[in-house]
Amino acid sequence: MLAASAAALPLLLGAAGCRSSDAFTGPDPLAGPPPLGHDVLTLQAVIAAEENMIDLYRVAISGDPGNQRTARTLRSLLGQHEQHLAQLKARLIVPPGARGVRGDGQSPRAPGGSGGGRPPRASTVSISRLRAAERASAADLVRRLATVPPALAQLFASIAASDATHVTVLGG
Amino acid sequence: MAGVKGPVPALQAALAAENAAIFGYGVAGAHLTGSSRAAAEQDWTEHNRARDTLAAMISARGATPAAAQAFYQLPLRVHNASSAARLAAYLEDGVTRAYLGLVAVGDQRLRRFGAMAMLAAAQRAASWRGSTQAFPGLSPPSTP
Repeated sequence: MLAASAAALPLLLGAAGCRSSDAFTGPDPLAGPPPLGHDVLTLQAVIAAEENMIDLYRVAISGDPGNQRTARTLRSLLGQHEQHLAQLKARLIVPPGARGVRGDGQSPRAPGGSGGGRPPRASTVSISRLRAAERASAADLVRRLATVPPALAQLFASIAASDATHVTVLGG
Repeated sequence: MAGVKGPVPALQAALAAENAAIFGYGVAGAHLTGSSRAAAEQDWTEHNRARDTLAAMISARGATPAAAQAFYQLPLRVHNASSAARLAAYLEDGVTRAYLGLVAVGDQRLRRFGAMAMLAAAQRAASWRGSTQAFPGLSPPSTP
């Protein structure tokens, strides 16, 4: 039976010609923070897209939505997108110090999407634009659900289904 | 079929929901007229088509598609157009929930198939209910 203290272990490994990374197959604690996994990156992209969608709705509502009934409808749909965002964010667990994350732990806004990183001008957000954004969002979520864990796939599918109903409400 | 693993249970669950919807639309349609009746007939046709597709998918995996029941206990008494619409929305909610199980299987094509079926059912539910839900299929069952 080999008896050795924790302090003696590196000496024993060194004598055997081993580095710590050779002796253990787990993550190397000296290698720095790990890169973000596929699921985290996917979730961040979906969150960014949802934030852009919310921006679109807020601008559309604060602009001229047409009439009170339309404004009420848009507020209802906005509320559902805010629920989507809350659920998506609840699933996001980013390891502290992970590479690929902004300093505040949030994901960057989706480039070239419905918002492009800043709220669009009010005059540019029409019902047809909202409808197109909803349709694109549903398609994107369906595309992404193939490569994520089952529970996340179900959330994506449910949100995609909600977005699809929004398309119909918006006259699609 | 004993010993069958993989997506068959999820396919069978979706098939059961489609069979229930086919029965339910038969009841609802009898109390509808005009464009509502035409919509119900169209939806009934869609559910028949989906049932056949699911049955073929189950058979292709070596299992036997579960047969429809002779009678289904409906969640409400249908006696006019309003209750018929509520029943239709309830049926579509059930179909949406059933396909959610298919979205969780490992086969990517089946996941997509399930998701697309969810989208269609959620749209039909919203149309009958006159309102949308934040989380179709994940939401608590609707009160008819």
